[in-house]
Amino acid sequence: MDLLSQILVNGILLGGLYAVMALGLALVWGVLNIVNLAHGAFIMLGGYLSWYLFTVAHVDPFLGLPITAVVMFGLGYVLQRGLLNLVVKAPMFNTLLITFGLEVVITYLAQLAFSADFRTINPPYAGGSWQIGPIALPIARFVAFGVAIALTLGMWVFLLRTRLGRAIRATAQNLVAARLYGVEPRHLYAVTFGLGIGLAGAAGGLYGTVSQINPYIGAALTAKSFAISIIGGLDNPLGVLVGGLFLGVVESLTTLYIGPTFADVASFGILLLVLVVRPSGLLGRTA
Amino acid sequence: MKRLGLALVALGVVALAAVPWFGSDTFIQFGINALLLAVLAQGWNIIGGYAGYASFGNSVFYGLGSYGVGIAMVQWQQPFGVGLAFGVVLGVVFACSLGVAVLRLKGHYFAIATLALAQVMTAIVSNVKLAGQNVGLVLPPLNNDRLFYELALALLVVATSTIWWITRSRFGFGLIAIRENEEGAAVMGVNTTLYKVLAFTLAGIFSSLAGGIHAYWVTFIDPESAFDITLNVKMIIMTVFGGAGTVLGPVVGAFVLSAISEILSSEVTTIAGLFFGIVIVAAIVFMPRGLADIVRRFPQAGWRYFKQNIQANRL
Amino acid sequence: MTKTSFALSSLAALSTFALANAATAQDIVLGASVQLTGPVANTGRYYRDAYQLAVDKINAAGGVKIAGKSEKLTLKLYDNQSDVNLSVRQYTQLVSQDKVNLLLGPFASNFALADSAVSEKYQVPMVQGGGASDQIFARNFKYIFGTLAPASDYYASTIAMLKALKPAPHTVALLYADDAFDVSVADGTRPLLKNAGLDTVMDERYSTNATDFNSLLSQIKSKNADVVLVAGHETEILNFVRQAKSLAASPKMYSFTVGVPSEDFRKALGKDADYAYGMTAWLPSTALKDRWFGDAQAFATEYKARFGYEPDYHAASAAADVETLVMAVEAAGTTDPKKVRDEIAKVRFASLYGPIAFTAHGQIDLPQVVIQVQGSELVEVYGAGGFVKQPKYPMPAWTAR
Repeated sequence: MDLLSQILVNGILLGGLYAVMALGLALVWGVLNIVNLAHGAFIMLGGYLSWYLFTVAHVDPFLGLPITAVVMFGLGYVLQRGLLNLVVKAPMFNTLLITFGLEVVITYLAQLAFSADFRTINPPYAGGSWQIGPIALPIARFVAFGVAIALTLGMWVFLLRTRLGRAIRATAQNLVAARLYGVEPRHLYAVTFGLGIGLAGAAGGLYGTVSQINPYIGAALTAKSFAISIIGGLDNPLGVLVGGLFLGVVESLTTLYIGPTFADVASFGILLLVLVVRPSGLLGRTA
Repeated sequence: MKRLGLALVALGVVALAAVPWFGSDTFIQFGINALLLAVLAQGWNIIGGYAGYASFGNSVFYGLGSYGVGIAMVQWQQPFGVGLAFGVVLGVVFACSLGVAVLRLKGHYFAIATLALAQVMTAIVSNVKLAGQNVGLVLPPLNNDRLFYELALALLVVATSTIWWITRSRFGFGLIAIRENEEGAAVMGVNTTLYKVLAFTLAGIFSSLAGGIHAYWVTFIDPESAFDITLNVKMIIMTVFGGAGTVLGPVVGAFVLSAISEILSSEVTTIAGLFFGIVIVAAIVFMPRGLADIVRRFPQAGWRYFKQNIQANRL
Repeated sequence: MTKTSFALSSLAALSTFALANAATAQDIVLGASVQLTGPVANTGRYYRDAYQLAVDKINAAGGVKIAGKSEKLTLKLYDNQSDVNLSVRQYTQLVSQDKVNLLLGPFASNFALADSAVSEKYQVPMVQGGGASDQIFARNFKYIFGTLAPASDYYASTIAMLKALKPAPHTVALLYADDAFDVSVADGTRPLLKNAGLDTVMDERYSTNATDFNSLLSQIKSKNADVVLVAGHETEILNFVRQAKSLAASPKMYSFTVGVPSEDFRKALGKDADYAYGMTAWLPSTALKDRWFGDAQAFATEYKARFGYEPDYHAASAAADVETLVMAVEAAGTTDPKKVRDEIAKVRFASLYGPIAFTAHGQIDLPQVVIQVQGSELVEVYGAGGFVKQPKYPMPAWTAR
């Protein structure tokens, strides 16, 4: 019984980390209809940025997350305004292809700049665990979980309750009407994309404390984020949290009861099932 | 005019067929690789270019074809031909069974579903003992690049001819109707489900044959290389670069991009991948309709053609 | 019509590329396709740097002596971007177009497996120091040789040591990645464990590139395994150790097939690397004498001075490959591939990597010594003759460090 409880806790905490990773992708996809295949590469960049802040500037990695997020926001804004805005009105999968090209470029530049060796973010207080009865609670993952909840709620409030959030959603839904009301769509698109990349950067900083950073982690993280976004549903930021938790628990249980090599079968199998049976996701409104 | 075009194509095929007798070993290997990629591109062209369903899962058929040959030859000691047929059967079964479920989805949901299929298949096969799990299978070596080259070329000719036939048939018009306006097509009496599954199956057959030839040529398959996910993006980019929904576009796209990639890999080597990524980004921005469209419109529009593309697609 | 003429003109462009001839070299050219970019580039660089260092060192000492004349060595290296299929094409290019004399190998068993088909097809000997899986040598190929010790033997010395530890461990958890090399290691380790009378309480295969080991670690804790053996890749083992700490999992000892010998890995873990066991077939000691470098320690010093990081057994193995080819060429008196191949099969000499000699299958036979991270040092604890230095055993709980 103890083992099962531990595995469930593991799964929930893993789910929190997953949710943070997927939040940026789901935002950009759900609101702007831009499918960003380079999402994982931005997580990787955020990880390196946090690493430099921690190792060179001695900034605490958790407190330094906002810095990473802001810098990555700037990068995202410039990228959208300068490059991605050029293809927004083309058939949807052109953004798929162009972001794939971006992913290749970013990964190679990272390899040239940082070399292929791995970096870890190792704050001395966060490597261990808190012991609660028979359950060990890894500190770093617990913090990541907390950040996930905070960011998800923050996103939900932002998109549904603030003026800027509503303007973003309105622009994405009806470009002409938005223009008529004096909204500058290019700026808003860039702000939204920047937000998505900022979230990815923050996820990278967290990822570096629980795992390691090297230029090639991007692709697998993108695939995972896709699964989580779809399973949870693109309409609602809370869906990402649900999707992440669901996937984290399923993977942990699969590893225990079936075998570690079946974790991917479970995640992508469920993704497929959701797509076929309920494409709008667990929390999405049925179309 | 058309007769001249056909004659030139025939001449091109003969020239390609003669390569193994004149080209260097390296070039023949490059040729086999480029030809197989062109077959994949043409396969994608059927479902993605003509039917408008952007599939990110054709790598599954490629992998099934590879493992069809691998399992048949290694585990059951069957000849190559049996392996190829087995691979095709696997592909057809897969396309018909899962295709029906997945083809109900539209747009990016279909793309993601096929991507998920690709991931699931990789994960499943790496657990199947018959397939050698993740360690893979080692096939009996056959030292005959000429045979593989001609096989690949023959396959490409068949695939391209099939597409040419499609452009002239009711089936093809049905596919294009589905791409342009699926609901309208259904109202007009097109059996959209049947046509879509047929297109998916056709794409699957060509892709699995390509995979089978590749497996025997390389003599070693494992889930990561057989179900290589990046192949999906490569075949799509090659088709789009050459011109999706055209007969020869994907072939040209495959040849040109393969050549660029290979030259970069042997000359600049370390930054090869970087340049390739830049080429992709630039191509999508400046020429999203592919080379075929450039060839058609450049004579009138000149350099303004590229600017027009950007203006049409930007926010 | 414009479409087809376009197609034909691109064909013409391709043909010019095809018919370009490579310049023939006057020197002895060694060719290799190595992972310089892509996910395993981190280990690939050991091969690039060691090959270059060995070639330069040998040239500085006068080069290769054939029939009274001294020939220079040249290295032709391609980056296969961690793509197996590309590496096969690049080896074909090296042999048929660049016309190299002899081949050096890539890193990783699955690469060596695929690339050995090329060396066999063209009958050009390849000496590789990157693939240890038994599969590579099971095909009865004549032109492939390997300087990495067989995968199935990796844990032999560790298990021998287990019997001599006090308090004696009883239960073992065996984890391994699902690629060719690690599966070979696991297959070879199981009978060894059984013969040593140890109880294998966990035997789990996990996916290559897995990042989450929390479930497996929780199981290890609940089963109270004394010893944990992990056969995997550096990135996985790094995650494993960090997550062991985060879950407060501390068995009496854990041993890894890779990572521990490399400076990079220990630096990334910092103090968390302490107490970890590994194995290596090579240590930079002065006991390993070498014709060109003096001894292994001198090699390590020179390597670090030139490239800025310490070499490990990958680099030593790679340098030994170059030396093997040179020794064989000198013994044969010619660069003719068949004659060189026969000399490689018979070769026997001492190098900075250890004694070089190949079995009938083409694989070297070197024992692994058990090493442990003690504080900030890498210490040899158990070798062929028993304990060299006392290991720090058992491993204390994470909170007690």
